[in-house]
Amino acid sequence: MRRLAQIRLQHNLRQSLKYLMLVFNDFFILALIFLFGALMYWYAQSMKTIPQGLWFYRPLVAALLWLPLLTGNLVTLLQEADLQFLLPQDEQMNLYLSPLVKYSMALPTLLIVLLAGILFPFATIKAGLAPVSYWEFAVAIWLGKILQLKITQQNLYFGRKISLVLVNLALLIVLCLAIMQPILIWLLLVLLVAGIVAMYLFLERKTLFDWRYAVALEEKRKNRVYTAFSMFTDVKEKQVTIKRRKYLDFLLPRSLERENPNRFLYRRSLLRNPENLNLLVRMTAFAILISWLVQNWAWALGLSCLVIFLTAYQLLPMADEFDDNIMYRVAPILRQNRGHDLIVALRLPMLLQWLLISASWLLLLPFNIQLLEAIGLLICFSGLIVQLYLPYKIKKRKI
Amino acid sequence: MSKFIKRKTGNMVLKIEHLTGGYTGVPVIRNINLEIKPGEALGLIGLNGAGKSTTIKHLLGLLRPQKGTIRLNGVELTKQPTEFKQEVAYIPETPVLYPELTLAEHLELTMLAYQLIPQTAWERAEKLLKLFRLDDKLDWLPIHFSKGMKQKVMIVTAFLADTSLLVIDEPFTGLDPLAVANLIDLIKQAIADDKMVLMTTHVLADAEQAISNYAVLNNGTIEVIGSLDEIRAHYGLKPSDAFDKLYQVLNQEQHHA
Repeated sequence: MRRLAQIRLQHNLRQSLKYLMLVFNDFFILALIFLFGALMYWYAQSMKTIPQGLWFYRPLVAALLWLPLLTGNLVTLLQEADLQFLLPQDEQMNLYLSPLVKYSMALPTLLIVLLAGILFPFATIKAGLAPVSYWEFAVAIWLGKILQLKITQQNLYFGRKISLVLVNLALLIVLCLAIMQPILIWLLLVLLVAGIVAMYLFLERKTLFDWRYAVALEEKRKNRVYTAFSMFTDVKEKQVTIKRRKYLDFLLPRSLERENPNRFLYRRSLLRNPENLNLLVRMTAFAILISWLVQNWAWALGLSCLVIFLTAYQLLPMADEFDDNIMYRVAPILRQNRGHDLIVALRLPMLLQWLLISASWLLLLPFNIQLLEAIGLLICFSGLIVQLYLPYKIKKRKI
Repeated sequence: MSKFIKRKTGNMVLKIEHLTGGYTGVPVIRNINLEIKPGEALGLIGLNGAGKSTTIKHLLGLLRPQKGTIRLNGVELTKQPTEFKQEVAYIPETPVLYPELTLAEHLELTMLAYQLIPQTAWERAEKLLKLFRLDDKLDWLPIHFSKGMKQKVMIVTAFLADTSLLVIDEPFTGLDPLAVANLIDLIKQAIADDKMVLMTTHVLADAEQAISNYAVLNNGTIEVIGSLDEIRAHYGLKPSDAFDKLYQVLNQEQHHA
């Protein structure tokens, strides 16, 4: 079983590296360096001006160092087929999970070290923690992560499952209290070590592995990772869970009279496929956020136009969404017109996007006549995208 | 134009002539000739890999024939695919639903695609939904259906389409006995209504309740067409022999080929 875990780890590492290379491309690395540099510069400048020894500094340090505990869930790499093929291996599962628990510690360890290094000046100078106590506290955080993973591991067996939300909240409270006194940090260290030893002994006695729960948990974890990757690149392994969202049904035409199969499908995909709806919501929220940040109608107009263009551009691949469905091919549905039908289905979402951005401008930006003109120009731009740009792209791509 | 008017104008028959085809340049099926008239049903039987699914994929326009033609009511599939598909409904072996659509919306999409009049189509749909105990699940998404329920949705939408040809691929897998009996009744009714049915199956005991004629596909060619007794006689079997024996003979033939 250990060999199987190692083979799966190697495969997972290759897979992750493939996507990490795509995400962290040259431009992204450059942007990250600039952003990190700017953040560190701001931090260094702030250190000169912020007052010393305020009461909430230590709990703040504890809360910030607690954040890495929310990353790096237990990687089990279990697959649905394991329900069939590994079912009699319950007693071997601790052996299987052992290298995976170590692997799961890699990212949180890296983040704890990085964050602890960054916070070191603030914690020791402004919050007044002794350097030794501070690093002991960082070790306590690291032990907290081990304990959290061990609890997750025990949850994989039948029996009472311990809520990780409660565990994390308890850890946050305990950490915020312990950081106030060095003796409490020591006490926390002892408690955490005792907790980890107890979990090891407890796991030795566990024999009945909860396969369905474990496989479902791993699927959710994988999907979260793929969702993160998919924000930057295409991820074919990502599973999409359709949501009914009945409360959005009012956006669908009531009568079938002016509907055709393609439009019927696209409209529902826009509302229920999280890929499409999330894109619309994310882009609209982004336009509102940057408009609020720039506080200038001209900049807000320019940047929102860019967002509208990017939204339409990214929704265009929807045209091929149903091509792989055998029933779509078998039914008498005219595929040749699907590009045009997609444009018709996109009219309402694009109009709603304009409406939401415009409403946010009226609330968030200084009100003047230019702002009203900008709202008018934005709807014209949106109309141009829908009436000219999208048909041009559809013709060019022969959709 | 209403589809009912269209049906009367054509030559009411499914005609597959000299069909040769497959997934690559190498043909999987060779020189298939079949004819089904209104009120007739034909079972397509054979071992796994004999070419049943390939024949069906050609008939549905999912594969392009290397040679030969497929005509339905005088309409040739490769020349007028949309008109052809208007008259074909399909029940696949593995149910394929749209994850974004509720059961009710699957029915509405069928009405749109097959140009059905919603009011009359809904009346028919309600009867079908009741028959398969789906009438209280209209707002469900496919994610909430079991495999058997999904298969029932496929059956309901196919019969709702009210086409002149029904193509049914291994329909009994995953269905409860009550649903199997209902499906057999629907197939019988479709035949009585002068529709054409082409069905592949291995469950001959169920199939023969509705279908009396069978074509045996072996190694990509049709070896014999006839009743099950005629097929038994063709392979030198007694009328009392179980269907398993037929498959054993086909298996031996495949090995000798």
